[in-house]
Amino acid sequence: MRGTELRPTQTGIVFFPAFDWAISPTHPEREERLLYTRDQLFEEGVMDLPQIREYQPRLVELKDIARVHFCVPSIEAQITEAHRISAGGALVIADAVMNKEVRNGFALVRPPGHHSMRVSHGNRGFCNINNEPIMIEYLRKKYGLKKIAIVDTDVHHGDGTQDIFWHDPDILFISFHQDGRTLYPGSGFTNEIGGPLALGTTLNVPLPPGTTDAGIHYVLDNLVIPVLEKFEPELVVNSAGQDNHYTDPLANMRFSARGYATLNEKLAPDIAVLEGGYSVETALPYVNMGIIMAMAGIDYSNLYEPDYQASKFKESPERMQRLEQIVKELTTVFDNRDALVAAARQKYEKFYSRHRSIFYDTDYIHEDQQETLRMCPDCPGYWTIDSQAVHQMGDNSRVYCISVPLRGCPDCQRDATELYEKMTANPDRRFDFIYLQDRVDDVYRQYDCRLKRERVF
Amino acid sequence: MLVGIDVGGTFTDGVLLAGGEIVSSAKHPTDEARLQETILAVLDELIKGVEAASIERVVLSTTLVTNLLATGRGEETALLLIPGPGLNLHRMELVPNTYIVDGAIDFRGRMTKPLNNAEVEEAGEKIAAQGIRKVAVVGKFSQRNNRHELQAGEILKKKHPGFDIVLGHQVSGQLNFLRRAVTTYYTAMTQDRWQRFAREVEKAITERGVDAPVEILKADGGTMLLPVSERYPCETVFSGPAASAMGAFALTMDQQTSVIVDIGGTTSDLAFILEGKPLYASKGAVIGGKYTHVRSFAVRSIALGGDSTVRWNGEKVTVGPDRQGVAACFGGPGPTPTDAFNLLGNGPLGGVEYSRAALARVAGEAGLSPEALAGAVVEQVVDQLTWNIKDMFKSWEQEPAYKVWEIVNKRKVTLDRVIGIGAAAGAFIPALASRLNCGSLVHKYSPVANALGACVARPTLSLVLHADTQQGTYALNQDGITGSISNRLQMEDVKKLAREHLVRMAHERGMGKYADQCEYFLEEQFNVIRSWSTVGRLFDVGIQIAPGVIEEFKGVK
Repeated sequence: MRGTELRPTQTGIVFFPAFDWAISPTHPEREERLLYTRDQLFEEGVMDLPQIREYQPRLVELKDIARVHFCVPSIEAQITEAHRISAGGALVIADAVMNKEVRNGFALVRPPGHHSMRVSHGNRGFCNINNEPIMIEYLRKKYGLKKIAIVDTDVHHGDGTQDIFWHDPDILFISFHQDGRTLYPGSGFTNEIGGPLALGTTLNVPLPPGTTDAGIHYVLDNLVIPVLEKFEPELVVNSAGQDNHYTDPLANMRFSARGYATLNEKLAPDIAVLEGGYSVETALPYVNMGIIMAMAGIDYSNLYEPDYQASKFKESPERMQRLEQIVKELTTVFDNRDALVAAARQKYEKFYSRHRSIFYDTDYIHEDQQETLRMCPDCPGYWTIDSQAVHQMGDNSRVYCISVPLRGCPDCQRDATELYEKMTANPDRRFDFIYLQDRVDDVYRQYDCRLKRERVF
Repeated sequence: MLVGIDVGGTFTDGVLLAGGEIVSSAKHPTDEARLQETILAVLDELIKGVEAASIERVVLSTTLVTNLLATGRGEETALLLIPGPGLNLHRMELVPNTYIVDGAIDFRGRMTKPLNNAEVEEAGEKIAAQGIRKVAVVGKFSQRNNRHELQAGEILKKKHPGFDIVLGHQVSGQLNFLRRAVTTYYTAMTQDRWQRFAREVEKAITERGVDAPVEILKADGGTMLLPVSERYPCETVFSGPAASAMGAFALTMDQQTSVIVDIGGTTSDLAFILEGKPLYASKGAVIGGKYTHVRSFAVRSIALGGDSTVRWNGEKVTVGPDRQGVAACFGGPGPTPTDAFNLLGNGPLGGVEYSRAALARVAGEAGLSPEALAGAVVEQVVDQLTWNIKDMFKSWEQEPAYKVWEIVNKRKVTLDRVIGIGAAAGAFIPALASRLNCGSLVHKYSPVANALGACVARPTLSLVLHADTQQGTYALNQDGITGSISNRLQMEDVKKLAREHLVRMAHERGMGKYADQCEYFLEEQFNVIRSWSTVGRLFDVGIQIAPGVIEEFKGVK
């Protein structure tokens, strides 16, 4: 009898502080980042608690990366072993949750990934590859999940994750973050709501600088939770940045450890994956502890930062008014998403296309993208990206990427494959590489135009 | 000549060793209520006819503290905690007589909230009113700054001079506050009783004219002198499995990877030697269902032994988990794995007709011949052992790792052999080894390998030094030692400092001659970066005198 199945009670944790990896010795993304978190978690004895089960991370397969990214010139060139373990840590938690070994799980891993987009020419916002989308595509492929929601709680807009699921109506992406006019990466405004066939499944809440626990909880209670209830995802993922904290050196928000704990209690994510957060001493030890306690159902009423004063975390009327407007606007967008898509179908007939410029802050790369989507009547449509990157030293690279969505129809799959075959049969010398990402057949091809060689994952 | 005595749950074994040979051995039933008498009876039998002055060393392993804690017979103790922010301990069931007071130290040893003296005094009054004299005082991050523990201890002592107070940072400086609390609490509980026992035993041994150091075996497979042990009673727990593992180590002394299987009457204990080194548990020993900071070997005890009850459950044969008595061939009430072995081997243990008769009763229920049943029993024992060995290996391989290097170079070992320990080992080890597809060793000294292990184990000492150059301080995880350092310290300096402390402590503990055999087992360095520049460094350096055998012992003949 299925009803009598034992329900898992524990919370799974992969703690991978990568104590031997840094972007550079003094970079925020350095060895020290999770050191005090380790001290706090271990001194508390969190891993001994009966509610907790600790797992060892593993190395992610290159194919799991190819399912999400077009890495230029190769996957190996974009990642270090630390990246493979960080993404692999998320997969370990995903497997543990799906196999019902644990009730939910937290991949406390670094390096982070949520600024990394579909095409990866280098490091953007401390990220090369994107852990949550790699995990989500793995979950969809391996366990046949269909609808998944990601709530990005990092203070920076999760522009990489947004880009990856821009055309995917089955993945709901909600990001709240400090207003892009005041913080990297400068995007994530309320008008960014997804591609023409996935309108309304991308939602962005730009928070005014200085927003407190109260403000974020207003957004959570009045937008995020109601939207999740309506979307009915099979799995909820928290892309768990910790830089909304009032002590973060790179941002200007006023969120507390207890605010984070309550957020995770309300959101009840199945899986949380650590993203940013660079207040290594005054925030991370307490915020990480709070997230773990909330996810494991452990009383967190005694958890607070040494200088925490509850009275400091009330919202100003001006900010509250702004938040109310945003919540109203986005609720309307989400509720009318079908109508928005229908209108887009009227507007664009066969193909939709857009042009974008992307800047890689860490590696100083300027990328130009020409993107085209087939306005397919039967599926989310295959899309292509013609991407040209100018590197710091003036080197150029140009690639052509073709992607068939997981739910791609036979027409889209055939057209995309034909396009790839035509382009590789007689390669255009302007391109360095041509990619075909066929998620229907789970086959990922990369054609090297100079060496006239294909690599298949 | 060397004496080793291992007190087990059922029997106490002893050996007298000279020149790598066991000159004599003794075995007595263990009388838990009168442990001294049992130990002395074994000792007297061993040294009968031997010049007492020729005894160079006596090592004991005992179950005293283990039993005191397991049966709740320790002295009534109060636990005063200074937890600061984190888990809500008010809502957790810790130990009886727990008092929680306000005050906080953070992970860098900075005081973030002063100690609430009034609450400490109030707790002191309540403790005194209950007539409790033993108090364990433990603060979170007290190993990084012991100020609050010292302060609370002073307040209590001043008001209640009769209190006997044990401070957490002096018991263990490892990260994990709750384990430190439990270990400190257990130390306070057992200290007096252990001290009495240690002194009585030492006196009794001296009275016999033995003028040699008396040492006690610890859970980590090393020894310490009896007077030193008075400060660390908890380290004497689980010395039985440690004795077996050290016995196997002493019998082999090579670089192979072995699983040690000690088959007793009721249980079998499993332990590992990986490439010549006994494997430690990654977490401390669990005593009375609670995690502690006591360092111990990775051992697993399974309810399966030579005397386990054999039954037919209607579908298949089952072995254990209970024991009803000795094997039928030795006059026991029913069939056991020992009888199965005896029957299949045509009676090497004698009394084969009793084995057959007992097995025939169960075989009748199953519709099998006694021989077929015996085969199934041996199969069952080998199955259970195999599953547990593989599972232990798996958990070792899956232990969390926190560095890229550790994940990329994933630990993987292949088993070279099974080492059988205990009287029943010979019966099952060859079949187990063939199932595991590795070699086997059942030595002629296997039945007394535990006592041999105690006899030749050398003293061990392990410490971790945590240095914070920004704060200008360092702390050891042993004895609560702290000090100040220059902000220019480099890894080499920290390593030197750790070594100096180890050498000093080794001399203080009467094990100075092993000091130069120390080795570093942990070297971590983190730069503390604030606003893009290095403002300090954090170091963790671990150094130890690892478990091994004493210099005099060069292997068995």
